[in-house]
Amino acid sequence: MANIRKGFERLLETIVILIMVTLTVIVLVAVIYRKAGASLSWYDEIASVLLAWLTYYGAALAALHREHIGFSGLVKALKPAVRIPFIVISEVCILGFFALLAWVGFQVLVVLKGDNLISLPQIPTRLTQSVIPIGAILFIIAEALGIPELLKKAARPDGFANIDIPGETEPKSDSAATEVPRP
Amino acid sequence: MTLLWMLLGLFALIAINVPIAVSLAVVAVVAMIATQGVDILPNVALVMFDGATNFPLLAIPLFIFAGAIMNTSGISRRLIAFASALFGFIKGGLAMVNVAASMFFAEMSGSAVADVAALGSILIPAMRRKGYPRGFAAAVTSSSATIAIIIPPSIPMILYAVMSDSSVVQLFVAGIVPGVLGGVIMMFVCYWFAVRYNYPVEEVFRLKRVWTTFKDASWAFLLPLIILGGIFGGLVTATEGAGLAVAASLFIGGVVYRELNWPHLRKAIIDGGISTAVVMLLVAASALVGNYLTELQVPQELAAAITSWTDNRYLVLALLNVFFLVVGLFLHSAAAIILVVPIVMPLVNAVGIDPVHFGIVVTLNLGIGQQTPPVASVLITACSVAKADIWEVSRINVYFVAVIVAVLMMVTYIPAIPMFLVRLFYG
Repeated sequence: MANIRKGFERLLETIVILIMVTLTVIVLVAVIYRKAGASLSWYDEIASVLLAWLTYYGAALAALHREHIGFSGLVKALKPAVRIPFIVISEVCILGFFALLAWVGFQVLVVLKGDNLISLPQIPTRLTQSVIPIGAILFIIAEALGIPELLKKAARPDGFANIDIPGETEPKSDSAATEVPRP
Repeated sequence: MTLLWMLLGLFALIAINVPIAVSLAVVAVVAMIATQGVDILPNVALVMFDGATNFPLLAIPLFIFAGAIMNTSGISRRLIAFASALFGFIKGGLAMVNVAASMFFAEMSGSAVADVAALGSILIPAMRRKGYPRGFAAAVTSSSATIAIIIPPSIPMILYAVMSDSSVVQLFVAGIVPGVLGGVIMMFVCYWFAVRYNYPVEEVFRLKRVWTTFKDASWAFLLPLIILGGIFGGLVTATEGAGLAVAASLFIGGVVYRELNWPHLRKAIIDGGISTAVVMLLVAASALVGNYLTELQVPQELAAAITSWTDNRYLVLALLNVFFLVVGLFLHSAAAIILVVPIVMPLVNAVGIDPVHFGIVVTLNLGIGQQTPPVASVLITACSVAKADIWEVSRINVYFVAVIVAVLMMVTYIPAIPMFLVRLFYG
């Protein structure tokens, strides 16, 4: 299980690195071309598509790390017997929504057959939109991989430590200098 | 009635720790099915894709990426050394160095949490070694990082600009005076604490040391010139400025300072990607809710209801201040901007408040939210770095939060403070 999780994490990390680097390069190349008086016609469209890809592939990675913004104070304050049912309901909501998104995402891909991007007609819209069903499935896998650990921790009276409060988990000061928490 | 059910559903899902982005999407989908049937479902995929392709938001991953590179390439350390040479001779100088370094760092990174992580990990231990109380060290770091997000560039301002359809460059310009004002007042508060509790002097003032540290940090000072000079000078857009920030920080960190290595850079890219995705998923999910609320004309009805009661802009600003302060207690600033700004903008426009002025008011309000538990992202990061108790820090932080509140009041009721430079440059 740990190996599967590690491999899955590496896959998502590689995708996120590729997209971030490509985005940066595209923006810089576009500035150079614009300053040279030859603006790239495809810049806005491709950069926007890459941002959407970063959103969904990155969201799956964030799900694996349990980093999506939420309000955990109430659930953490509950006793394990009460806390676990709420966690189960929460996970059902998350998995259910992304299952629905994957399903409707595939339906949209069928409808989009034959459509192409405006600025780069050689790229089919199905390719760019594929991030919705694929991203949703990756999110489901990432979320599901974390459930056993989450339930195990939640079952312990002191196990569901609040990662937000210093002293309840291992200090992370060693990595603080390289951390980039969300804005 | 549908709106009431949506709100109840949203609060219930958030309360059981469903991520806010998913909570928003779930209530929007249920409301759409309830009112328009299942045939509407393919729209969910289309809106969730379109919501994530908002071009101006491209600046966010790039600024986060640039900030991460600066964190890992020795730029923060050099800024601290220079600030220390400049202010370290004053009683309580290291606390002032903390505020000054935050203000410098803010001109390059757009994130208060990144600011705390970068500077706090160096300055909090240094302050502890000099005998400053743990709680004070964490409080100064935390609050000065928040005042710093008013100084451009600022990720909350980029989000606000997109959500309110206002100029990000004008918002950046409007943030300069309130940001510097807040920083200077915080330095006075540090001095007051230092005199009262006899905090030490950091180092003797030596012009030579100022010059040496300035030379060492001079490449780092080029970064705000490139970023802000390019954006304010109209040479590049905010997104392009963010791209240039990445290239410049890579060059300075990797070629000039030679402190950048692949493991650090890799972690910086991944963390930046995750941070961006977390915010962007919220944006995409809010597009679903936004479409639905727009169809119901909710923002317009809210504006009509309040303007029928009062159209006094200062009273409306007071109401919105209280509202955003309460929202900031429970919501992360990005989530609060994405959720609330589109709903209140028709009201803001109806009573004649300048959207740029209001943007600074919102950013300051949510900055206070970053310091006030239960959801206090910046304070919690500072406590984590200082290994200090959140309540112990909050007791001292009250004084610094009072400074942010004072700046908020000045910005709210003296619009010239944020708008003076905007009017000077943009008429």
